[in-house]
Amino acid sequence: MTATQADEKPKRVVPLREGLFRIPKSPGEKPALIASRCPRCGEHFFPKRAICLACGQVGLEEAYLTGPGKIWTFTIARMTPPGSLIEAPYVVAQVELPERVIVTSVLSDCDVDSVRVDMPVELVLEKVKEDDEGNDVVAFKFKLMQ
Amino acid sequence: MGDKRVVMLGVGLVRFSRYPDKSAEDLGREAALAALEDAGIDFKDVEAGFYGRVERAVGGGMRTFGELGQHGIPVTNVELACASSSRGALLAADLIRGGLYDVCMVIGVEKMGRGMLGGGGEAGYQTQMGMFLLPGLYAMMAQRHMHLYGTKREHFAQVSVKAHRNGVLNPNAQYQKELTLEEVLNSRLIADPITLYQCCPTTDGASAVILCSEKYARQHTTRPVYLTAWAAGTPMYVPGESALAEGPTKVLADKVYDASGLRPEDVDVVQLHDAFSPGEVLGVEELGFCRPGEGGPFVWEGNTEINGKKPVNTDGGLLSRGHPMGATGGAMITEITRQLRGEAGPRQVKDARVGLLHNAGIGGINVMAFQV
Repeated sequence: MTATQADEKPKRVVPLREGLFRIPKSPGEKPALIASRCPRCGEHFFPKRAICLACGQVGLEEAYLTGPGKIWTFTIARMTPPGSLIEAPYVVAQVELPERVIVTSVLSDCDVDSVRVDMPVELVLEKVKEDDEGNDVVAFKFKLMQ
Repeated sequence: MGDKRVVMLGVGLVRFSRYPDKSAEDLGREAALAALEDAGIDFKDVEAGFYGRVERAVGGGMRTFGELGQHGIPVTNVELACASSSRGALLAADLIRGGLYDVCMVIGVEKMGRGMLGGGGEAGYQTQMGMFLLPGLYAMMAQRHMHLYGTKREHFAQVSVKAHRNGVLNPNAQYQKELTLEEVLNSRLIADPITLYQCCPTTDGASAVILCSEKYARQHTTRPVYLTAWAAGTPMYVPGESALAEGPTKVLADKVYDASGLRPEDVDVVQLHDAFSPGEVLGVEELGFCRPGEGGPFVWEGNTEINGKKPVNTDGGLLSRGHPMGATGGAMITEITRQLRGEAGPRQVKDARVGLLHNAGIGGINVMAFQV
């Protein structure tokens, strides 16, 4: 490989974990959580699972949840736990989506003291680190809607 | 119930503290010897063993029981996080009630490092995203409770004040020093509203309990403490509800009340899982001692004090007694047993005849009823 070829290697966006969320490929596309939907009773689950907890159906379909949602409960982490890429203070929230799914996540940077139960939030993807190849590693978060 | 009841024949503890120079086997052996002496039996009389310990130690139960003797009994390692040794006791109770054994022993041990617990083996998604925050679970339950019912930070903090005051009366407690409400509230915030002094510490320690059949007990004690009913479970799926809790506490408590014929009003002394202070505020509701939403004022008004209407964690609980994870269940059983025997000294609840235990861990919950 010549020096020129190495310099031109494009930076990619990769997920912190595969299979949890969909990274938009085109400008109009929204990020989405990759969930399961029961073809028999319509119940949704996130993360994906193989068997419906409501009706026992084996074999669930993939579904994409785009939100927005609202805060079901939350806490403010004032101490950064071991191994965390996110520095305290930050908000850990349980977000209720319209499909009756409750997702645990962190909130995008905000005034942590202003957060309350029932506040509306939207799904976003944010870079959390870079990998060894210099790619942007992203994760999903929820962001307070103003 | 005839001959089918289970008896708590012996209990023993190693004071919860830090023991850099003692092995898990040493701690377990010492607790077991105390329980055997309390029961007045020899190790050779024990027919089956259960070893509650969270840190994975292949052969751990065999080695610790092996310190006491080696007459070939079955020893099973039981891991249910912070509820390991109470689960061991339930399993032993099932076997005794089923007529398979007359005498079983449960040894619970833990040796822990300092500081916040990390995310286990996998530095996975949750850990990297700062979501593996143990107080966070209880903190989120507390925040929703505050939102729904107006529960105040002081209500949660009061749990810790009472716990530490009770710890002063317990020579086996890790912390034996009172804390004021201000000290608790002003200690470092970990996950809002939980401050440092509202978190259980990391601890080394061991507990041992000996269970036997009613028939066997008749030859060994004139004042048996009966384990009369028990129930265990994992979290139940409820559509649109968050699975924040470690298990279906209310469902399990109702099963135990049904099976024993007891009502919440009959309970004289309680051990419940106060790994973080909101555990007690929510616990007193789920165990039926007050209505949903009233747990905050119930604690604040002193109802869970030793001389209160519903004494909870008379020995300091996880917050002050300490929390060597594998040993905690056995320590809960030990305090209830001593209370029901009238052996709790300065912590004694007057006329304690009915005890209820609630022990939670990542993996499930155990609820047990004791009577004399």
